[in-house]
Amino acid sequence: MKRASGFTIRDFAVGVTAMCVMCAAVTLSSYAAETSVQVQMDMSKATPRSMEPLTERAVLRDYRFAWASMAQALEFNSVDPLQGPFEGDAMRWLKNTVLSQQQSGITQRYGNQSHRVEAVFYSPEGDVLELHDTVQYQLQVSDGGKVVHDDPVTIRYVVLMTPGADRWVIRQLQAVPQF
Amino acid sequence: MRHRLAIFAALCSVAFLVQLCSAQELRVPESTIAGDDAAISAGGGGKGTLYVVGPGIAQKSDVNLGEDIHIPGKELHNAGAYLVIVCSSSCESGTLYVTPAKPYSLAFIVHPSRVPVGRNDAISGVAFPFDQYRNLVRTPATVNFELNAGKESLLSRAVHTQQGAAWFRTSSGRTAGTVQVMASVEDISAKRAVQQVASDPCNLRITGGRTKKGIEVQTEPVHDCAGNPVPDGTIVTFTAQGPQGKITVDAPIKQGIARAEMEAKGAETISVASGVVMGNELRIGAQP
Repeated sequence: MKRASGFTIRDFAVGVTAMCVMCAAVTLSSYAAETSVQVQMDMSKATPRSMEPLTERAVLRDYRFAWASMAQALEFNSVDPLQGPFEGDAMRWLKNTVLSQQQSGITQRYGNQSHRVEAVFYSPEGDVLELHDTVQYQLQVSDGGKVVHDDPVTIRYVVLMTPGADRWVIRQLQAVPQF
Repeated sequence: MRHRLAIFAALCSVAFLVQLCSAQELRVPESTIAGDDAAISAGGGGKGTLYVVGPGIAQKSDVNLGEDIHIPGKELHNAGAYLVIVCSSSCESGTLYVTPAKPYSLAFIVHPSRVPVGRNDAISGVAFPFDQYRNLVRTPATVNFELNAGKESLLSRAVHTQQGAAWFRTSSGRTAGTVQVMASVEDISAKRAVQQVASDPCNLRITGGRTKKGIEVQTEPVHDCAGNPVPDGTIVTFTAQGPQGKITVDAPIKQGIARAEMEAKGAETISVASGVVMGNELRIGAQP
């Protein structure tokens, strides 16, 4: 069966299949990135407000997604994954890191992330959440494809999250020598 | 034979020392303050490549090994962990922590923006000190919270930051109007305003009578229990119950008073309510 333009139904079917395969690949890749981020979260010490279980689940989901997105951004030198999970100062320095990486040809890979997160402050009105995250990951730094650093690291992060329109966003992500 | 052994041992020592000297000995300071320069040293000789990867930066540059390497403070604005890597024949790395400078500004969030008077624990605020580069300052600081309604002081409290956060919660005052809320650390301050509005009406009373068209009812000036006039626009509900059934009219307060006209010819019992507050009942006889 052929149309007047010469574009066959078979061509159309091939195109659609290719698009589906591409979409599935992208979805699987982001899913794989997210599942490679292990997060243990303890909200029992959050004060002065205690956290509802539903909120806790949402924070866990959004925090894990944010780290997966950050890892993607720094590995593939793209700011796109940062849109959404990050805002404010965290967004500013992450964007600058990616732009700086694009200029220098450096990439970073955050592999095998394992986070131990504790909530230390949850504001009275529930609009600011401070977390302490002790994260272990395999940090690989490459320059133009050549690995110049590949070591397991343990870093402590102080994190400020606020509720956005449809998710919790990271506003501050600051590594500290100790809590 | 002994001489030969001694010469061999000496040559081995020299070779070892040469090897030791040419190897990189990367020395990175444990920490520095945001915006300050940092000096690192990489032993050995010849050319090498320096990588600095941290929050907001991922750069490489050529360096001379054996000389002090300065990282300018403008590249170390963001607090966090910086990975410093020096490569020549092999790569060495170290971590430099940049810690926040002294407080420069306060992020101050106050809730709510409007609050009824006389409510317990109705106003709360959270303050986070930040340095000039927008890093969260976690070293303990004392934040002074002050709430003033006109000349009346509602709160004055010094709170030590814990993990970088200081907060307060307090009751609203007795008088409607603007409350100035201030948080300060040393010479830095942040101000917010909370509008205190009248609480629920108190002693809601109505008067009324027959007109040619029906019944006209109106409230006396509506105040809360502290005597603050309830704001215009607040809805007052008038309900007339009579032989014809029930008539309900919602009327907004205008200039302190709510008015309504009802088309009712029979004997009616009129009640009034605003929010959860009920007022008096009024009985009006049938139209003659």
